[in-house]
Amino acid sequence: MDRRRDWSVLRIGLRLIASGFLRYPRLLVISILAALVWMAVTVVNPYLQKLVVDHAIEEGQRNLLVPLVLILLLAGLMRAVSIGWRRWYAFKLAYRYEVDLRGRIFSTIQRLGFDFYDHSSAGSLMARASTDLTQVRLVYMILPITLANIITVIMVVGMAFVLDPVMGAVAALTLPVMVGFAILYARKTTGISLQVQQSLAEMSRLAQEGISGIAVTKAFGREKRESRRAQQVAEDIFSKSMGLARFRSLYLPWFELIPTLVTLGALWLGGLRVAGGDMTIGDLVAFTQYLVVLYFPIRMTGWFFAELPRCSAAGARIVELLETTPSIRAPASPAPLAPRGGEIRFDGVTFGYNGQEVLRDLDLLIPAGSNVALFGATGCGKTTLAHLIPRFYDPTAGTVSIDGTDVRQLDTMQLRREVAVAFEEPFLFSATVAENIAFGAPDAELSQIVAAARIADAHDFVQSLPEGYDTVVGERGLSLSGGQRQRVALARAIVSNPRILILDDATSAVDAITEAHIHAELIEATQERTTIVIAHRTSTLLLADRIIVLEDGKVLAFGEHQDLWDNVPRYRQLLAEASPVHR
Amino acid sequence: MYARYGTDDPIPERLNLIRRAAGSARYMALPALGAAVAAVVATLSRVAGPLVIREGVDGGIIPQDTSVITMAALVFAGIVVAQYVSTRITLYTVAWMGERFMMDLRTRIYAHVLRLDMAFFGRTKTGVLVSRLTSDIESLQVFASEGALAVVGSTLMVVTVSVALFVVDPLLAGLVMLLMPLLLFASYRFGRNSAKAYREWRGEIAKVLAALSENISGVREVQANAQEHRQEERFSEIEKAYYQKAMNAAKTVVDYFPRMDALRAVGLAMVLFIGGNRVLDGELTLGSLIAFLLYLNWFFEPIVQLANVYNLLQGALAALYKLYGLVDEQPAIEEAAEPRQLPSHVAGNIEVRGLTFGYDAEEQVITDMNLSLRAGQRVAVVGSTGSGKSTLVKLLARFYDPQTGFITIDEVDLRDLSFDNLRRSVAMVPQEGFLFEDSLRFNLAFGGEEISDDKLWEACRAAGIAEWVESLPEGLDTPMRERGNRLSSGERQLVALTRALVVDPPIVILDEATSNLDPETESQVETALETLLADRTSIVVAHRLQTARRADRVLVMQDGQVVEDGSYEDLAGSDGPLAALIRTWENSEGLKSGPRGGRPIESAGIEALGVGVDGEHLAADATS
Repeated sequence: MDRRRDWSVLRIGLRLIASGFLRYPRLLVISILAALVWMAVTVVNPYLQKLVVDHAIEEGQRNLLVPLVLILLLAGLMRAVSIGWRRWYAFKLAYRYEVDLRGRIFSTIQRLGFDFYDHSSAGSLMARASTDLTQVRLVYMILPITLANIITVIMVVGMAFVLDPVMGAVAALTLPVMVGFAILYARKTTGISLQVQQSLAEMSRLAQEGISGIAVTKAFGREKRESRRAQQVAEDIFSKSMGLARFRSLYLPWFELIPTLVTLGALWLGGLRVAGGDMTIGDLVAFTQYLVVLYFPIRMTGWFFAELPRCSAAGARIVELLETTPSIRAPASPAPLAPRGGEIRFDGVTFGYNGQEVLRDLDLLIPAGSNVALFGATGCGKTTLAHLIPRFYDPTAGTVSIDGTDVRQLDTMQLRREVAVAFEEPFLFSATVAENIAFGAPDAELSQIVAAARIADAHDFVQSLPEGYDTVVGERGLSLSGGQRQRVALARAIVSNPRILILDDATSAVDAITEAHIHAELIEATQERTTIVIAHRTSTLLLADRIIVLEDGKVLAFGEHQDLWDNVPRYRQLLAEASPVHR
Repeated sequence: MYARYGTDDPIPERLNLIRRAAGSARYMALPALGAAVAAVVATLSRVAGPLVIREGVDGGIIPQDTSVITMAALVFAGIVVAQYVSTRITLYTVAWMGERFMMDLRTRIYAHVLRLDMAFFGRTKTGVLVSRLTSDIESLQVFASEGALAVVGSTLMVVTVSVALFVVDPLLAGLVMLLMPLLLFASYRFGRNSAKAYREWRGEIAKVLAALSENISGVREVQANAQEHRQEERFSEIEKAYYQKAMNAAKTVVDYFPRMDALRAVGLAMVLFIGGNRVLDGELTLGSLIAFLLYLNWFFEPIVQLANVYNLLQGALAALYKLYGLVDEQPAIEEAAEPRQLPSHVAGNIEVRGLTFGYDAEEQVITDMNLSLRAGQRVAVVGSTGSGKSTLVKLLARFYDPQTGFITIDEVDLRDLSFDNLRRSVAMVPQEGFLFEDSLRFNLAFGGEEISDDKLWEACRAAGIAEWVESLPEGLDTPMRERGNRLSSGERQLVALTRALVVDPPIVILDEATSNLDPETESQVETALETLLADRTSIVVAHRLQTARRADRVLVMQDGQVVEDGSYEDLAGSDGPLAALIRTWENSEGLKSGPRGGRPIESAGIEALGVGVDGEHLAADATS
């Protein structure tokens, strides 16, 4: 059963690898042809040497010496040129396809929906586009030469037979042993290396964690124990590496010894045969040279076959990712969106994550241009509801429509340009503040960017940054505080002047006074925009004209605060629960 | 992490570096000697092979003397055994030395870094430090396990084979040596150019990875803003640069190897032509020519090898240089030469006298502070950002040493206390709960020595998290993955508080977390906090008014000094700085009384709305 799965993984991976070769047939063909020329010359070389020794020197035909040596020189130069070509085209093929595949991986992961990211870790996605891809690239680098190597090995055995049947038999018996040995060796080494790699990764992890958590370690005075932990891992790396070293020192010498032993056998057997006149000295020279020539191809071939399962497994993982279809797809012929408005309608909307229903048969109409807040207990589905509008998810039943059109019939890109969301934990790209604000509207002019920043109350602090709007922020730039990040993200949401604006707890890290200020500016700036606010703070709630109260996946009430306060006891209760009284 | 790539600086004092590394590995002298002897034997036995063949050909095959042939075969067999044994010893010993050196280095550097003071961590970027401990050590490792042997083996081989060539035929050897300058020049150029090309390529790899990682982390923003196409275009620009640099690196390889091959072909042709003529003229035996041809193969290989490992060697030296820079950092906070111990029962009286401190010499954060804290007192420190309150608690935990003045616990200066004693007496709970990527058990028991599960459960119950722990899939064994990302920030705080409770220290220092929590978790955190602070001397940097209210004593800090000191009631009643602070707090926090808001004082919470303060009025107030 496992074996069958292994086999299918191998097949999927190999198919991916083959598809790359089919994509660049020219590069592959040139590379293989160059490898074959290289191989042919490599094989002919010892034979030419034999001719020099046997005919020109031993038989004393001095006139043959110059032409033969010239041919030999020519062959050597051909070998040089062909090795260059082989490598160049193999590199080209490998890097081209790597870049291609990574582009495809990138497009795929850009299009996978929120639901996908709810369940996958960034680390494994990174691994697809880096380590797995490197594994696949390896095949492209070494396949042409491996093909040539295999042909070389077969040809050499053939040549040996031509030179002398007995020698040929010796070679024919030795070579399979050597190739088998090479595969076994490579496979075993890979296994042990993987263990070493794991320990090394553990060490890196420990170091990274140790530095991030240094304050805790210092606070509890655990430096010595943490050092001991590191020491243990270091010892573990040592012992595993030594396991590898022991294995290598035991078997690696055999790669040289087997040909040497065969040379020994050849010398003895061949020497006797030459002495008996059955074989020329030149044959013997050529034969021993062949065995030297084969040393490298055989090791490479073994290595290739040992790596192949890992490479195809990596390929299979990439295929799996590439074949993941995004749950949200734009319709083939999208419906046009009515010119202006911003009315949002939920009709019998049901939605859940992992079979757990969050929204149940929910109906709701948010009129165009209104300013509403979503309110309810933690986990009641406020964010979920809001995320259905820009189609981050599709409902399991029912429809969400904007100005009369089902969002599933709209062009997703257009929809998302019209519906802007500011997240609670926004992400800032490693780019300037201006670029971050203009992220959704790349053509925005600086004046628009500044205007948006002013509304989001970001202008003042941005100006105080070392290079103002040109200050690079994000992972590789200046790190901003949570409240500052939120304000930049808010500016980003409003710069494109969207029809609908969703503030998903987008000012949670901003103090309440500033928050109220921002809201006032927002409402002021565009009267006709529909604004939906999700907030955990009750003060934020009160900034909306009307409040939607969610409970049990349905709309419990929708109205002004005072009305709800007076008429909906559950609303009062929820408000009280949202701010528990302490001792 | 970019430090690793961008640096083009030459490594100063190469020789000193190597000398220093060798000095620290002096105990390896004997194995090194053994490895050297073995390597010489291995090389010699390899080189001896063709000589034996020569004897076999000239003395056995040509005169058709079978006994000589058999003799040669036997000698060859002996050589093979010697070669096997010596190669094995070399491989193993060199690996042992390399790995042992790496193990010591890892252990030493890590222990050293942990000993460095918080000021060091403050001024050094985490990324740089992590790359020292990971990628720099790894590039040394690569050299240790792959490069070192190649350098030793190849150098020996070149030297021995050169000698052998001269022994077989000085004239032919001289001819081959004519190629040497070209060979060395090509190899040197390759080593230099490829080092540069590969460094640039690695820089591009880093950019590709950074772009990928950024787009994965920010994928929601990309989709929400419908920017998939533009991001793809940007990424393909980065990929183009990557491809270009990759091919540049490939070009150095593609240039070098054919050149070496061509030189080899020229060498071979020369040897066959001149050697062949010499054999025909009777000046050279056929066996010598054959042996010479065999050696010629071995002459080129190790030079190519050396050019290949040149990169590794460069990388290793650069890494070593940076690592030694780290080793040379001296911790500013060290244990006293003759540390003092507190009595077994620590009361927890704290005295601060004439305390002055600044992170750099020019700017003082705390100026001439004097303070007496009685055992068992609960003290809240409040003040605006930059008032020095967080610095004060860091000084109390001896994360830094004062510039002048001193701090004592039960009349012992912090600087005289043994580290062990200090850490057992004072528990500092950092703001946000940091979790180690280990089990929950490991995280809870982090502060103590061999804590039993019973004790952990007891602490969990006291902190009110026992139920939560039971609800986790694997209880105490639940792994806290991805640096605790799976837990909410409230849960992380709870674990951090329980961790301090497990240690049961007489003095607790706490920098209150500022993150917003949902109401349920918030109340749990309050409970845990109450339990932790009860019956101990505690100093809490309060970010919430509630915390200040519950303290026995409130210190108001401003510009590095205590400007007000007294009970909350007294200070709130007077018209001093605290009263002013309360007013601004009420203004902002009173509004954000919701679940995500900081804990306000009751009178300004949403409860106020319930007792008639008009909600709209509040909102209107705020917006005006």
